[in-house]
Amino acid sequence: MKKLYSNKLVIASLVFPGLLVFLFAILAPICLSVYYGFTDYSGMGAANLIGFDNYKALLKDSTFWLALRNSLLLAIGFICIQHPLALIVAAVLDKLQGKAEGFFRCVYFIPNVISVAVIAYLWKFIYNPDFGLLNNILHIFGYQGKVNFLSKEYAIWSVLIVLIWHGFGWGMLIYYTGIKNIDPVLYEAASIDGANKKTTFLRITLPLMKPVIQINVTMAVISALKQMETVYLLTNGGPGNSTQFTANYLYQQAFKAFKYGYGNAIGVVFIIICLLVTVGLNKIFAEKTV
Amino acid sequence: MKRKVVAGMMAALMAAGLLAGCGNTEKPASTSAADKSTSAAATSESSKSESSKSESTASGDAVTLKIFSNLPDRKNGQGLVEQTIIDDYEKENPNVKIEVEALDEEAYKTKFKAYAMDGMPDVVSIWGQPSFLDEVLDAGVLAELDQDAYKDYGFVSGSLDGFMKDGKLYGLPRNTDVAGFYYNEKMFKDNGWSVPETYEDLLALAPKINDAGFVPVAMDGGDGWPMAIYLTDLLERVDGTISEKVNKAVADGDFTDPSFVKATELLKASADAGLFQTGYDSQDYGTAMNLFTNGQAAMFYMGSWEASMALNEDIPAEVRDNIRVFSMPATKDGKGKQTDIAAWNGGGYAVSANSKVKDEAIKFLNYMYQPDKLSKYGWENGVGMSAQDQSAYMTGNETELQKQFLDIVKNSTSTTGTTINDRGPSAFKTSIESEIQNVTNGTTSVDDFLATIGTACK
Repeated sequence: MKKLYSNKLVIASLVFPGLLVFLFAILAPICLSVYYGFTDYSGMGAANLIGFDNYKALLKDSTFWLALRNSLLLAIGFICIQHPLALIVAAVLDKLQGKAEGFFRCVYFIPNVISVAVIAYLWKFIYNPDFGLLNNILHIFGYQGKVNFLSKEYAIWSVLIVLIWHGFGWGMLIYYTGIKNIDPVLYEAASIDGANKKTTFLRITLPLMKPVIQINVTMAVISALKQMETVYLLTNGGPGNSTQFTANYLYQQAFKAFKYGYGNAIGVVFIIICLLVTVGLNKIFAEKTV
Repeated sequence: MKRKVVAGMMAALMAAGLLAGCGNTEKPASTSAADKSTSAAATSESSKSESSKSESTASGDAVTLKIFSNLPDRKNGQGLVEQTIIDDYEKENPNVKIEVEALDEEAYKTKFKAYAMDGMPDVVSIWGQPSFLDEVLDAGVLAELDQDAYKDYGFVSGSLDGFMKDGKLYGLPRNTDVAGFYYNEKMFKDNGWSVPETYEDLLALAPKINDAGFVPVAMDGGDGWPMAIYLTDLLERVDGTISEKVNKAVADGDFTDPSFVKATELLKASADAGLFQTGYDSQDYGTAMNLFTNGQAAMFYMGSWEASMALNEDIPAEVRDNIRVFSMPATKDGKGKQTDIAAWNGGGYAVSANSKVKDEAIKFLNYMYQPDKLSKYGWENGVGMSAQDQSAYMTGNETELQKQFLDIVKNSTSTTGTTINDRGPSAFKTSIESEIQNVTNGTTSVDDFLATIGTACK
């Protein structure tokens, strides 16, 4: 078998499909995006090269920067709220054992199983000032007014809560799998040495989970930057542009405003930002493991 | 040696896998190629059969017409009307098979663009407004229609204007749309409210209705366009005739004219007076409409296409039978009257320029606009007014709501034409529909709003 894998023909034939997918599904579209980013293409008709005009406009586009800020805010929310919670819940789940473990694992993962469209409408109704669940709960406690959770002041936070809640199960499941892979002998040794739960978590679970955390956080940050469908269905960036996210803004510009070239320019900047963030995160984690 | 054989087999397997993959993707291509050849044959055949018309027309060769529609609900309202006509046509022309692809407006517009690059279906829904049509006509994807052929179709004067460019006609309008306040007459009577005579009366109603525990006006503010129509309506009240002024402002990217400032302030006054429901700026069409149809809101600002509410069995009879309408009341010191209404001819149909069965497509288009099709069916289903003369189809059984809309149109002293958001390029439309939320909820000032939408025109 070893010799089989050293045969160049076999290697080539095994790598080829992957390479093909990469070339045509990732590299070619990126190249096209870069090209269209330099044009005034509307999505139909002819495309004229206009140099860096799209990028110059982008620098001055306050909505783009607002959208980017919101995307980064979401990334921070993921890292600071969603992931610590997910990790702790995963560790607690691991200790639960028995039926409870399976039950809660299921419960926490349910939001991930429900379709995004359903999630968006569910929360739209929960937030509704006239008949929403949250307002009805407030009324039980004697509050008479109507709270508008999707107003210009609160909308971004309401959207962040939905997104953090929605992605929670996924992060937790990966942490949970990671924790399950830790050799139980280590825990036994720790308990013989008299370590309490906190010390065990900090000194054994956390350090051994580093690679899992690295992958999970990187994926979370990228998914935060890419966030589109939930926002699109929940608020579509409104009111005004207060809940605008980069990917949603890109879509609006390219497909609704007929500024396909401009949309591609946003896309190119977006790819660069995603790459920078990924490289940056890898650096941070690499330094920590040394 | 054995290993080499295994290696060779692995390679062969991979290659086979790849080919299979390619084969799969090739399949639709090959069938579409077959389609092409058959449809090409069909057109040549049909032209042949035209030359020898003495043969029975019913036995003409099979033609498949593809229709791309923005009406996904085929069982109610306008979608039902469209589907009924399609069924009629198929019955009368057994050789024609019609395939319908229907998507929601926004998804429709996105896919329309994809089709524009890669071959349009034969008959498509379009909007006779610069925000949609400018780019589409620039791309040259729609077929030119023969204007003279439509002289006897009874189109309302001016209704074709939005579908023309450089004197050439590219589409036909489906409806005449009028905006107005639907109101629940019973709720008004029970609470002793009267229909407002002026805009100031309307604003004064807001606290009264709120105090009674109802929403004064259900507003679909999550989408920007209903408020843009509202703004258009107010502009007409402030200025009298706005068409030229708006066109000039769009062309110059300059909205500093006092009429725009005044109308925007009036719009903001509505929001500030609490006329719209809490959170109107993030609620969608369905949510706003439900407030009204469930009897939680006293009024609902929307277009005449919702006149079919009066016939919709899903709406409780108590509400359904009491829906009435009034047009935007005049303001105290405005030049416009209540009879200067917001009305326009928006949606319509066109034929693809590259259709392989263009003759059949145009034949079908003309069939739809036979006076007893779109107009008659539309009227019977209460979907509002068509862009053609409908007087022949009055049955006397019209709903109160239909009669009121007819009166509003009949008594109108002027109409706004295309609403402000649709008068500019689509970048302008995107901008104003989002910025209008900001200006009504107080995020931006009126001046900033007008400056921003001006910039989007350039």
